[in-house]
Parts: sequence; C-alpha cells; structure tokens
Amino acid sequence: MQKEFCSVRSRLEEQFRNTEWIAESGLATEDIEAAVTELEREPLSRKTIKAKTFELIAQKARIAVDRCDIFQDKLQGAGIMQRQRARWEREVKREYLSKETAETSRAWSEAGAYFCGPDYGHTSPNTRLMLSVGLPGLLDRVEAASKRSGLSGEQRDYYAACRTALTAVMTAAERLADAVEPFNAASSAALRNIACRRPENIYEALQLIVLYYFLHDFVAGTRIRTLGRLDVLLEPFYRRDIENGTFNREEVREMLRFFLYKFWSADVVAGLPFTLGGGDGHGGDVTSEISYLIVETYNELNIYSPKIQIRISEKTPEKFIRLVLSCIRGGNSGFVFMNDSTAVKGLVGVGVAESDAWDYVPVGCYEPAVWGKELGCTASNGGVSLPKAVELVFTNGRNKKSGELCGVETGEIGSYEEFVAAVKKQIAYMTEKATDYVVRIERHYREINPDPLLSCQYTRSVETGVDVYEGGAEYNNSSMCFFSIASLTDAVCAVRRLVFEEKCLSFGELGDILKNNWEGHEEERRAALRLPEKYGCGNSQADAVAAEFADFCASLVNDLPNGRGGVFKAALFTIDFCFHTGERTMATPDGRLEGEPLSKNLCAVTGMDREGVTALIRSAAAIDASQFPDGSVLDVVLHPSAVSGEEGLAAFRALLAVYFKLGGLAVHGNVFDAEDLKKAQREPEKYRNLQVRVCGWNAYFIDLSRTEQDAFIRQAENAV
Amino acid sequence: MKKAVVFGIKRFATHDGDGVRTTVFFKGCPLRCIWCHNPEGISREPQLAFYAHRCVGCAACAGVCKNGAQRFEEGSHRFERALCVGCGACASVCPSGALRLFGHEADADELLELLLEDRDFYEASGGGVTLSGGECLLQADFCAGLLRRLKQNGINTAVDTCGFVPREAFDKVIPYTDVFLYDIKAVDSDVHRRCTGQDCRIILDNLLYLDKKGLRTEIRIPLVPGYNDGQLEKIRDFLSGLKHVSGVKVLPYHDNARSKYNALGMADTLPQKLPDKTGR
Repeated sequence: MQKEFCSVRSRLEEQFRNTEWIAESGLATEDIEAAVTELEREPLSRKTIKAKTFELIAQKARIAVDRCDIFQDKLQGAGIMQRQRARWEREVKREYLSKETAETSRAWSEAGAYFCGPDYGHTSPNTRLMLSVGLPGLLDRVEAASKRSGLSGEQRDYYAACRTALTAVMTAAERLADAVEPFNAASSAALRNIACRRPENIYEALQLIVLYYFLHDFVAGTRIRTLGRLDVLLEPFYRRDIENGTFNREEVREMLRFFLYKFWSADVVAGLPFTLGGGDGHGGDVTSEISYLIVETYNELNIYSPKIQIRISEKTPEKFIRLVLSCIRGGNSGFVFMNDSTAVKGLVGVGVAESDAWDYVPVGCYEPAVWGKELGCTASNGGVSLPKAVELVFTNGRNKKSGELCGVETGEIGSYEEFVAAVKKQIAYMTEKATDYVVRIERHYREINPDPLLSCQYTRSVETGVDVYEGGAEYNNSSMCFFSIASLTDAVCAVRRLVFEEKCLSFGELGDILKNNWEGHEEERRAALRLPEKYGCGNSQADAVAAEFADFCASLVNDLPNGRGGVFKAALFTIDFCFHTGERTMATPDGRLEGEPLSKNLCAVTGMDREGVTALIRSAAAIDASQFPDGSVLDVVLHPSAVSGEEGLAAFRALLAVYFKLGGLAVHGNVFDAEDLKKAQREPEKYRNLQVRVCGWNAYFIDLSRTEQDAFIRQAENAV
Repeated sequence: MKKAVVFGIKRFATHDGDGVRTTVFFKGCPLRCIWCHNPEGISREPQLAFYAHRCVGCAACAGVCKNGAQRFEEGSHRFERALCVGCGACASVCPSGALRLFGHEADADELLELLLEDRDFYEASGGGVTLSGGECLLQADFCAGLLRRLKQNGINTAVDTCGFVPREAFDKVIPYTDVFLYDIKAVDSDVHRRCTGQDCRIILDNLLYLDKKGLRTEIRIPLVPGYNDGQLEKIRDFLSGLKHVSGVKVLPYHDNARSKYNALGMADTLPQKLPDKTGR
C-alpha cells in the first residue's frame, strides 16, 4: 500500500463533506437532471427508465478521486434517483392510495398509535455471488437467461435493464480508473480489473464492495442495509493472498483501516452494518482469522459506524466473543450479538428453508433475513404502539383530544378478562390498519422502485425475469413491529391490581384519573409506580402477561400475506419511536404521566428493573423470541466497574450465554459513560438500578453524595 | 434458625468470588474498622438512612411515621433519629429514595428461593452465592442452614469473613463452604487494634485453622495509607506459610462511603483519601 492510513486519516474523514469533483470530468447535476426529465417523457417502462437514468449518471456525471485513498467510489449525482423515486411514489399514492394515505398518516401523527409505509431499503444484496463471479459474471447470467425463448415483453425489458445497469457499473469503474491512474497505479489497476473480471485478491474484493455500495446506495438510491457476512466474503481472498504472499497480515490490516473508515466518513444514517461469525449451516462456525482482524481494526479506529453484528452459534470461539465483549467494555458499543438458534427457528417458522435460514444476516439492526435471497423490506414497514391500546380501552376507542373514533368501541369493562380482551381488540384493529396499508402500497412497488441492479444478484429473479420489488426474490417478506411491550405489561398489571383485585378504583374512576394525567391523585400514582408486578424484575405474574401479549401480537402478523408474494414477519423492538409515541400517549395505569417516553425494545420501563440485570434477562426470556422472526433486542446496561477485570468479562459473557440459552435473539451491551452518569445525577429516579463498583464492592450510584458522584463522573471522563 | 437480619442482597456480584454471584449482606459486625465502607452493616439493629440531597419535600414520610420522627418545618425536612424505631414505614412511601431502611428479617425459605433464581447465571459462569456483611458468621447457625441447602441444590458457596468470630462459628459452615473470602488487615496486634478496635490473634488463628483443614481461602487486604500500609510485607510472610490460599487481592482505599455515614447519622471515621499520584 502506498498510503499510510494514520497520515491521511483526518483528510479521509472529510471525503464526503468536501469532495473535490473534477469539473471537466462530466456534466453538472442540473444537466443530468434535465436529461433525466427528457428520459422520463419517453414511453418506456419504469425499470427501463431507471436503468437508463443510472447509466446516464455512470457515463456522464462528474467524478472525484482521492489521492489519499486506496479505494475510489465517487460519482456525483446522489439524490437524482432518490428524487425520481419520490416522484413515482407520489404518483402512485395520488392515483391509488390518496384516501388511505391521508387517514393513516393523520392517525399516526395525531394519536401516536401506529405507523405504516413503504420500505424500499433493508436489502441484503448477494455480495457473495458478486465477489465470486464478478461484474462480468453477473452479466453473463443475465445474458444467458435472456436468450430463453418465449419471453414476454416485460421480461425482455427486465433483462435489458439489468444489462444496462451492470454495464453502467463497469463504465463507472473504468472512468474512476482513468482518473486515478496518474496518482495511484495500484488503485487504477484494481478498478480496471473489477470492470472486466472477477476480483482476484482481497484488495480488489474490497474495492468492488466499496464501489458497488456507493453506486447502488448513494447513486441508484436503494438503501443497502448490510454488507453481508464480511468474514465469509473476505476469508477465501485473505487465505489465498497470505498463502501466495500477495499481501501480508499487516498490509491487510492497513487496507481494512481504509475500508472501514470509508463507511465511517460516509456517515450512513443509523450506521451501515455487516455481520461476523456464526453458524455455517453444517455444524461449524465461520469465524476465522479475518474476523478477528476486522474487530481489532474496528476497535483500534474507535468508530461506531459501520456497526457490527456478531452471530453466535454453538461453535463460535469463546476467544472471539470475549474480544468483542472487551471492545464493548472499553466503551465501543457498536456491536450487537445475535443468537443463531433463535434467528433460524424464527425464519423457519415463517416458511424459510432451514438451509437458507442459516445464511441469515441482520438487515439494519437485528432483523434476520436470508442473505442475497430475501428482499426483507423490514423495520420501516410499520409498527403498532401497544400502550396505545390501553388508552383506547379507557377512551372507548376515541382520540382523547378530538373525540373522534380511532380505535374500536370496546365499551364498559367489568372484569380483568374483559379488559385483556378489549386491549387485544384494539391491538388487532391497529395492526389490521397498518398491515392493510402496507399491502396496498407494496402492490405498486413495481411502479415506484424497480431495481435492476439489485435484481441481477438474485438467482430466482434472474431465472424468472421478475424484478425483486415485484416479488422476484426467493423470499419477499415484510415486517410489522410492536412497540413498548414493557409499558403495556405494567399498565395491564396495574389495572388488574388496582381495579379488579384491590378494587381501590373503579374502571371508570381510573379512566378519569388517567385522562386528567393523575392530577390530584399523586398518592395513587406513587402506589401504582411501587407495585411489584413490573416487567423486568423477574416477577412471574408480570412476565406471564408480557408473554401472553407477545404471543397474541405474533399470531396477528406472522404468515399474513403481504403485497409482494411474501408474508409479514412480526418484530418486537422500538427503535427510538418510544419517545415519539410517548409524547402522544396519555397517562398510563402504571403511574406514567402523559407525554413521558414509553419503554424501549425489550427493556423495562425506565427505572422499573429494580432487581438488576439478571432479573431483567429472566423477564425478557419469558417472551418467546422465536415468534418474532423480524427481530427483538434486549439492551443490557452495565457500569464499567461491574465488568472490569477478567472476572468482569466472564460475568458479561455469562449474561449473554444465559439470555441466549433461554432463547433470546439479540443483545446490546451498554457500559455507561460519563454522560450517562450525569443524567443519572440529574434524574436519579430513573437510574435506581445503576450500580457502580466503588472498590471491592458495589453501590448504587444514586446513593452516593454529590461529591462522590462527581468523582465517578471524572473517572469516567478520564477512562481510556 | 429460620430468620436472620440482612441489609442487602446484591445480584450480579462479579467480584465476590468466582463467576456471577448473588451476595447476601448480614447485619452486625464485631470489628470497628475506621475505614469501614459498609457502616450500615455494623449494628445488628435496623437503621434508617436519610439522603437529604434526594428529598423532594413531599412529606409523605411524615404522614406515615407513628413516632413523629419525620418533621417538616418551613418546608425543610428534619429527621429526628432519636425518635425513629426503624420500622421502615417512611422508606416504603418515599418516592425519591431519600429514605431507606437498612436491615430486615430474612426468612430462610424465601431467601433460598430468591438465591436460586439466578441459578442459570451461576451455571454459565461457575458462580454461586456469597454470604457477606457486616460479619455473616455472627449469625452462623442461620448461615450454616442456608449454605447446606444451597449445597443440596448444587450451588457454589463462598463466605466473606473478617475472621473475628469463635472457632465454632467456622465449624458450623465449613462443611458447606467452597471458599472463604478472608480479610486480613494487619498481623501486628497493636496496628490491628488501632485500625479495628480488636486484636488480630483470633483472626490469624482461624485462618491457620482453615488452612490446616485444607479449605480454600482467598485473601483480601484493604490497604489504607497511613494505617496498615506498613503491614504488607509481614502479611505476605504470614501467608507464605499457608498451603490453600488460591488468591490474594489488595483493595486500594477510597473514601467514597462518606455519604452513608452521613445518611445514617454515624460519626464518620473514614481517613482522608490521599491524593493519587496522577494528581487528579
């Protein structure tokens, strides 16, 4: 390698913010856009227009090369194709969905009840195929399939579009190769090679991954939500290069620095993930030397994007897991652990072949989808805020503010059983609204977002000549999420206790209190907060309620047909919607005030996991995670002192092991830093369970005096 | 013995013996170490702690106290410790955690059930249960019964002790204890007396006794500058004669327990922490 990473790091950081486009290398974006407008007037199919738009940009847009970098990827024109899709989406909505669109978006924003929409992202391209056959190999497959007899006009269009898109990528590679040649011959040669044959070493492989990602995501506008199983992709190249002496380990490490930093400086929304480790489907695990090298390099760079998903099978080396845990402990929490056995079980449950399920990658955060075979447009499809169902039971289905009907009229409630049934009715109603909308819009994906560049990586799509967004992938599944299971559980438990067991309030009285945000009833509110039946404490009653509702939600969604020839997959995470929904949800029976955030992912309501992390894990494990094939996640919050030393690391490992043994799907590890401690200082009631290791013992952070707390904060700030 | 006085149960204890453990803190201690970090563990009686900086002034405590120990004058909260009987009624209604009762009677059956809840975590990490304090062996009969039942359930057990208890107390728990976490503060009697108020002879004899019986011990030495830091070498010499010590940990001194003395209305005996070498 010619460039030393450390000497150009700060400049690379700026590469996407201050790109020096070569003016004479092509047309300005306005000119391209004008040409696109012309193109859209022609009587062509959408997929053809799309391919030709991409071709236009690839051939004519300005490019940039960075003399400091070893990878090239910059083609001006990001936004053109995203705007094109937005135009097409507006058209479809206007023509087919105007009424539903208005209704659903209003219901969502006003009530914070559910949301739904199209999701064109969360794709997991078959990068493995692309690396093994190269761009020309992909083109050969398209050509071969297009020579079949009896093709329809649509199919011929499809193959032509794939051919155009693939050729355009090669053209872009050649243009970049020409431009960089005077400064970096090796970089130029790699680009030329990948334009005309498959990559032959790890450097070419990494360059192809980079180029493909930025052309497809930044330019062609499809969100690539994972680079795939990166160690699986790179291992064959790495092994061969080391054996042949093409590169040594340190040279590869240096390449990985540039590679990882590329995605860091690109500032991808929510971080761009890739996967390491995990079962190979034949009883072994894919973790290899390159897996370690990637994690070590990542940790050394001290970045949190890209983000890394660690798949854990029964055979994942302990040493590897501990390496990752020690990174998290050191403050780098850009990792999530995924439990292979639960992920596979979940996917098989919605009809995925087991051999395919073993090749899953989490697309985005923790949503398992079959790598290169599933167009799992997940996570952004839709979600239902479960605590809203409780509100709707108390308001008899009406919006608290406007009085308009937005749920089901469930009427007066006379028993706990009736209450549970009414909450379920409201959940089912919201779910139906959300899924119905998704199905309607998905039927028009072909008009909004055909994607020849993605399609030509999917074997079934190429064989059948059907675009992946029309159902051409092997699996074409969608998702529906359920938010804030802990808030729902605590609310239901509180109603049972206060209204139907202790009978200190009638159903109507509690409803009035909630509508008035507990005003004048602070004592009752405190009593509700103190109830022992809270999710996250290992309380068997509360855990049973959580499990019952989780089962119910999963049964509403899993296997429900979507609008693309696939099914819906249930999910049980919250992302950060718990703040948005919280702002729009009235007071809840568990003592929560109107507007306060609702619970996140599989976490307890903030401050309610009073028995510590082991009890939280027991509660979370009461929910059958395999019923949520589109994912769920538990956030584990620990103080650095609780996991310090070898024994602390082993304890951290045990938490993970137990949650996975009990069937959990995914775990985030959070080791608190100074900022979090400061928040705990300001709002101690929310950090009741934050433990700190004082010396040879633990104490609750909030029990310490201000001065002692300050000392800890300083310690945390000084921690390396 | 079905009941004991405990002042805390700590789950996911990661530094109290092997693996992930649950630690039970028993109330009452025979020593008076001037640097004691668990002053709430010294007295056998229940004690109310008042963290004034967390009081939100709601006066809920005054409403439930039958003895007038919680008073609000001109909006300011005054706790009359002399009137407090340690019933804990106020702590159970305090919304901000400003009042907390240290010490409650624990029932052996309930305690056992609670300790078994985290069994999966013990198994995954080679952990178990640690009895600590205060000094747990002041309630040796209860401890022996509890440890026996833990062993019957296949749980690894540890006893964290200061060693200043009668030999018979050890004899009671020895059959059911996998490891003793054993504190040594000094080996010279005058130093030990100055630091803890008691002679160290019994402590050292008990340790020799455990070692002779082949019991595994892990030694902990709280190191307090200006008090026992001159003892390290002598402690090392003493330990070199032992055969079953599986580890020695020196615990550096911090004065982070001041707030607890304050909250408990106890005279703060903590030495000043010396500035550390980095000057922070």
